Amino acid sequence: MRVWCWRAAVLLAALALWEAAARMLNPILYVGPSRLPGALGRVLATRDLPPLSGHVWLTLGEIAAAYTLAVASGLWIGFLLGLRKTLGRIYEPLLAALYAVPSVVWYPSLMLFLGLGPASKIAFGVLLGFFPVTLSVLAGIRQVPETLITVAVSMGAGRWTLFRKVMLPAMASTMVGGLRSGLALSVVGVLVGELLGARAGLGYVINYAYGLMMTAEYAALVVLVAAAVLLLDGVGSLIEGRVKRWAG
Amino acid sequence: MTAPAPISVDGVSKRYVTPSGPVPAVERVSLTVRPREFVSLLGPSGCGKSTVLGMIGGLVRPDSGRILIDGEAVSGPNPKKVALVFQDPGLFPWRTALDNVGFGLELLGVPTARRREIALGLLEPMGLKGFEAKYPRELSGGMRQRVAIARALALDTPILLMDEPFGALDEQTRLLMGEWLVGVRRRTERTIVFVTHSLHEAIALSDRIAVMTARPGRIKDVIEVSLPYPRALDAPEAVDLHAKLWAQVREESLRAMDGQL
Repeated sequence: MRVWCWRAAVLLAALALWEAAARMLNPILYVGPSRLPGALGRVLATRDLPPLSGHVWLTLGEIAAAYTLAVASGLWIGFLLGLRKTLGRIYEPLLAALYAVPSVVWYPSLMLFLGLGPASKIAFGVLLGFFPVTLSVLAGIRQVPETLITVAVSMGAGRWTLFRKVMLPAMASTMVGGLRSGLALSVVGVLVGELLGARAGLGYVINYAYGLMMTAEYAALVVLVAAAVLLLDGVGSLIEGRVKRWAG
Repeated sequence: MTAPAPISVDGVSKRYVTPSGPVPAVERVSLTVRPREFVSLLGPSGCGKSTVLGMIGGLVRPDSGRILIDGEAVSGPNPKKVALVFQDPGLFPWRTALDNVGFGLELLGVPTARRREIALGLLEPMGLKGFEAKYPRELSGGMRQRVAIARALALDTPILLMDEPFGALDEQTRLLMGEWLVGVRRRTERTIVFVTHSLHEAIALSDRIAVMTARPGRIKDVIEVSLPYPRALDAPEAVDLHAKLWAQVREESLRAMDGQL
């Protein structure tokens, strides 16, 4: 309870500071929080901007596609490299090297190959979301205590039983963390993709507002996106907490 | 014709391949365990006791020699005949005590209600009544090990292999668990092979004690213990036995330490 009070106080203080700072500065460039509700209203009423709902659905669709592919490929590669020791020894350093490259450098090539449409955004979302999922699977496999495996094998567990009844639950808390980071990064990938070059989507609208110096609308959109991402991550954190409590 | 021995270890050897070359762990170990007998494998750490136990349990494949269970060669884990308990309880943290005990039965396809019945029946006499729904993290070290033993007993195998099961417990808990194991043994009539480096544990529990040499592990001597249960460790016979065992184990422990220096 006290933590919540403090959080609210910090938030209010930040808003007040923001408002005070914005009022002292050029109103075209600096938007205070008091101007956000009006701007948000204008954005939603689509008076000066392209209709929002189509863009929102497009972005959500891209995120869903990107995340699904990121999880599927991340789990697949992760388990392949984690369970096939030789493959793991060959490819894990490569994976680490790729991960070390700032992913955004790939985006121009993705646009070249896949065009300005949703495909390049989805691909970028996959690229960003893929790494945390894969790495969490690899870490999870390494974390399964040897004794648990020995116990199960001594009781006659075959490969599939071992995987299902020992490895998966033992890996769950590590994996769910990776799945959560993967979601956050898939969202980032899609939005950044849209911001860097697109003809539709939430990122495109943000860029559009920014390009026309509609700073209040721009700020309102950013706050909207931030709120949506926070909500999504909140749900993710709830699920993660549950799984962690269950898996001990 | 007599029935084959429950466990027959016949000249097994095992070497482990390490980055610095092959290390012989066990060399030509032979041992026959009689029905319902409690045999301890006693020796300095690293002498290959656990490897012998792992080979009997079908977890480690010997390089040469063979192991028979009821006259049949061991080719892998055999949960219908052999159950194992390890030093680390190895409980599944996402399962309650009850579900941990039922794990092996689950693998054998025993239905839920029956599993529950068996697990409850095992947990109660182990002083774990009321803890069925607790998770391992909510149990003390001694309780966890009892759950692990119950999980092995649940398989109801004629043979129980225990690899320093009380090694991680404090002295008091260890003594109490030993007394408790004597009771369990009387009730269940199992053949038990028990790995330990504790002389007291070996004397308090065993029908026979097989003393192993420092690495590579061989059987140095097999000693019959004919004292009645419950055993008082301060009885003159027990004290003599302790002195005799200590002389043998001391020699091997010193050799084991030399090997490391």
